[in-house]
Amino acid sequence: MNRAFNILVGGVSALLISLFIVLLVGMALELWQQTSLRAPHFSEILFAARLSLYTATLASVIALAVSIPVAYAFSRYSFPGKVLFDTLLDLPIVLSPIAIGALLLIFFNTGLGKQIEAWFGPFVFEVRGIILAQFVVIVGLSLRLLKETFQTIDVEYENLARSLGYNRMQVFVKVVLPMARRGLLAAFLLIWGRAIGEFGATVTLAGATTMKTETIPVAIFLNFESVDISSAIVFITILIAMSFGILFFVRKTEAYVQ
Amino acid sequence: MCSSGPFLSVDSLNLSLGEFSLRDLTLSCDRGEYHVLLGPTGSGKSSLLKCILGFHRPESGGIHLDGRDVTRELPERRRMGYVPQDYALFPHLNVEENLRFGLRPRNISSEEGDALVNRLCEVLHIERLRRRKVQHLSGGERQKVAIGRALGAQPKMLLLDEPFSSIDEGAKRGLWLELRQIVGEVGITTLHVTHNLEEAYSLGQRQSVMIDGSLVQSGDTHEVFQQPASERVARYFNYNNIFEGVTEAHPGGTRVDLGHFGVEVSENVAPGRQVRVCVRQQDIRIIRDGVPVMQSLERNLFSGEIAALIPLREEFVMWFKIEGSPNRYDLEARFPVRMEGRHRLHEGKRIRVGLWEPRIMLFER
Repeated sequence: MNRAFNILVGGVSALLISLFIVLLVGMALELWQQTSLRAPHFSEILFAARLSLYTATLASVIALAVSIPVAYAFSRYSFPGKVLFDTLLDLPIVLSPIAIGALLLIFFNTGLGKQIEAWFGPFVFEVRGIILAQFVVIVGLSLRLLKETFQTIDVEYENLARSLGYNRMQVFVKVVLPMARRGLLAAFLLIWGRAIGEFGATVTLAGATTMKTETIPVAIFLNFESVDISSAIVFITILIAMSFGILFFVRKTEAYVQ
Repeated sequence: MCSSGPFLSVDSLNLSLGEFSLRDLTLSCDRGEYHVLLGPTGSGKSSLLKCILGFHRPESGGIHLDGRDVTRELPERRRMGYVPQDYALFPHLNVEENLRFGLRPRNISSEEGDALVNRLCEVLHIERLRRRKVQHLSGGERQKVAIGRALGAQPKMLLLDEPFSSIDEGAKRGLWLELRQIVGEVGITTLHVTHNLEEAYSLGQRQSVMIDGSLVQSGDTHEVFQQPASERVARYFNYNNIFEGVTEAHPGGTRVDLGHFGVEVSENVAPGRQVRVCVRQQDIRIIRDGVPVMQSLERNLFSGEIAALIPLREEFVMWFKIEGSPNRYDLEARFPVRMEGRHRLHEGKRIRVGLWEPRIMLFER
């Protein structure tokens, strides 16, 4: 019976790992069988990579900055409607990115949206729109990760620091943030990875314009649309390498924490 | 500011925490006193401590420290040193950094800080641990660092919440002694929360007993342990010889009829009262044949047999069945281990026991 269980567990794991290996091998074979190999222009790769790095980094920094106080409030305080607001803030995790993009597009068609564009500049079909779309998609995940991080920090550390003469802000800066630093780093890398691969909300709000709002996922889409498979594969490879690197780093960070 | 009243006073404090509440609590600690707040798990000791520290806001009542009303004051302004149950040493700081953590908000000079840390390391005997990560400390070392960190902030008093709960049983007693020496050397008023009776007895100059959110007794250590104020306190102290009976008039005092036996006390209680009689295990003596019986024992002598004997590490427990009793046993007694050999005790042996009359307690219902 034990042997059967081991075979079941090992077999299913092996099948799942094989699935992703097969996908990667399939991509390599497709590239091999291409009769006319055509790499995208270097300037296009550079533009897409730089735009993706810039927007994903900025969106992640903003999401993390916003999430830190909100996640702390949700992990420490009780207030009326907490469960309702918590669920509302979780929505971006489960909502389709296209729906998020559509919601943003609709919002910028309202009076308030137009006023915001008047104050801060245009978002629709602009790089600002990419950052905003990525921010809205990743902020829910960022909140969830940080809430878990803060919940693992025993409130007794904060009580103790206050008994030593530190006020709430000092306690947060001197105790909570240093103790949460690895959780913050892991959260940043995960949301950054999610932002760099974001497509649905980005394309809906910012559009898919070559050399303007062309992030790596948008470049993959545009190349596939024009049946330039080899160029699309180049962009997919870049995206896979970046995502794998981030996830591997997160694993290493988590292992270090443990 | 210095006041002539108690150093710490908690007056008629009420606090509600969901379904649990602290009711009309009044407690006081004199300057320099080592006060133990004793009670079973879940009795509200830690909640009271957190109230004194300022982490829970009471619904009514007051807390005064050194003559100053601190009831509504923020925890960071109360100047109370706190050592929580698991010590809460900051894992991102080493031992010395933990000790220095309490110095920063006080804005003391680096020379003063160095001198203070050196002094703490000397008093606590942790000089060799200064650069060590807190994760690599033993339970006793962690406790010392936590006490040092609390003292480093130069608090007016020290509050310890179950400070020995994560210490190995074998190491506890040595650390009780060390804690007593450290606190004595610093001369700080201390409020120590524990559920451990031995720990409370060994460390406390005064005790306050809390049960179910109420403070049921306060007093000097010997007084509290020798004369529990109520049956609830006696039961908490594991004084298991508690019997229900009715008082009868008796020459020279009162007799309590307990059914198949009776207990005589010198105290005068009106006849016909329903009372509970409590006899501590250590107040039951074995009577040796041919040896004159002490006056305090001769009013309550019982013949019977040893129903059971259980040896513990430093003492043994004997269950005694009074002659003619329908019960499996009637009295539980504790004796030093050497007594077992001296009296050649064994199960089934017929012996006589006497109850130490001055220590017999009556609780009216």
